[in-house]
Amino acid sequence: MAGEAPAVEVLLLGAGGFLGLHTLDALRDRGIDPRCGRRRRSNVLGLRSRKARLVPADLDEPGGLVEAMSGCSVVVHAAGHYPKTSRDPQAALALGLRQSRAVLDAAAAAGVRRLVYVSTTSTVAPAPGGGPSDERHTWPEPPAFGAYHALKWHMERAFLDEDRLEVTVACPAACLGPGDLRVGTSALLVATSRGMDPPHPDGWVPVVDARDVGRAVATLATMSAPPRRVLLAGGNHRLQDLLTLAAARYRVPPPAPPVDAATAIQLADAAEAAVEGTAQRPSLSREIVDLVVHGLPLCCALAESRLGLSWTPLSTTLDDFDAWARRLGIVPPHPETAPCSPPPTRTASTGSSPS
Amino acid sequence: MLAAAHEDRIYRILTELTAIPRQDIKPADRLREDLGMDSVTRMELVSMLAEEFDMDIELEEAIAIEDVVGIFTLAEARLSDV
Repeated sequence: MAGEAPAVEVLLLGAGGFLGLHTLDALRDRGIDPRCGRRRRSNVLGLRSRKARLVPADLDEPGGLVEAMSGCSVVVHAAGHYPKTSRDPQAALALGLRQSRAVLDAAAAAGVRRLVYVSTTSTVAPAPGGGPSDERHTWPEPPAFGAYHALKWHMERAFLDEDRLEVTVACPAACLGPGDLRVGTSALLVATSRGMDPPHPDGWVPVVDARDVGRAVATLATMSAPPRRVLLAGGNHRLQDLLTLAAARYRVPPPAPPVDAATAIQLADAAEAAVEGTAQRPSLSREIVDLVVHGLPLCCALAESRLGLSWTPLSTTLDDFDAWARRLGIVPPHPETAPCSPPPTRTASTGSSPS
Repeated sequence: MLAAAHEDRIYRILTELTAIPRQDIKPADRLREDLGMDSVTRMELVSMLAEEFDMDIELEEAIAIEDVVGIFTLAEARLSDV
């Protein structure tokens, strides 16, 4: 189990987001009421309803970041740049790195002791010889197959290279659960619930309940001697299995067979081109396709052993997302829908992992 | 009836989020179809309204707003509660 340190003053960047709100709840469960950073144009409805302590914190305003971090011993950074499309990799990389450096420089200037950076499992490389990947497996160079993967590799590297303060990196897999207002990972499930049967590739999709991520990040913020990098996934699934499950839950026809990777990439690139210059989001995003096509089964034994984490069952995650999404009308009302058994889970906890 | 000053503050936020000039935004405009606001931007809009007028808005209410009139109606109801 994790050794808990005394209460600390924490700044939570990205507090109003999907993972941020669950991290806020988890920190409060540990008796910590963090400062919650907010940009002018961020959604703070969830923070207001929780009576959170809001402080201005814009990653593009370094002076304000230092002020927001002043007096904090820990900063949780769950606001890493997530580009809307993969159309302009250079611009995305420049912005992502500039904001990463702004956070690190501000933390160093403010005398922050520890920074918890919320990254992604897209930075995980295949295990040599096959089998599940774990914390030891990283790309020696940025992956060449997608702008999102390259961006996230560079950003994570910037944090791992930091030597002015302690940095620990959490790498959540595809996040599911209540509160996903942007309907990120859940987008294909929501589309399926509406009977849209979106074209999709197949591949490994490690998934994790966003509440488990919140608990893990809160533990990393407070435990003594946190691991340098920890992967967070509660199970490994094939996308086709997940969509088949969603179709059964919502009593719609099962999904069509997956398209091949090249076709999926073509469809995503076309969808992103179609919304360029508009406020709309693509119907199929390139980073989702890349994440699925290059997805890997993961071993997350380190999170279990060092953070004391146990994973929320997928059926519970989907039930809770479903209840929340129905309340907001994100998925259609369907009184006959009943929970189904989860798809086959390829265990995430097999294989060895570094201690 | 929402005070003109309050309407102006709402139009200012709409203009900031959509880059559409104030004079081109009409009360009957639909947020998605006419003003091009996706679901995330609509949430930002409602969040900014909550901050601007210091009023609490539930997610269910936020997601149910479909047009500019809906914003006026919500703001009028909330402000009259104060």
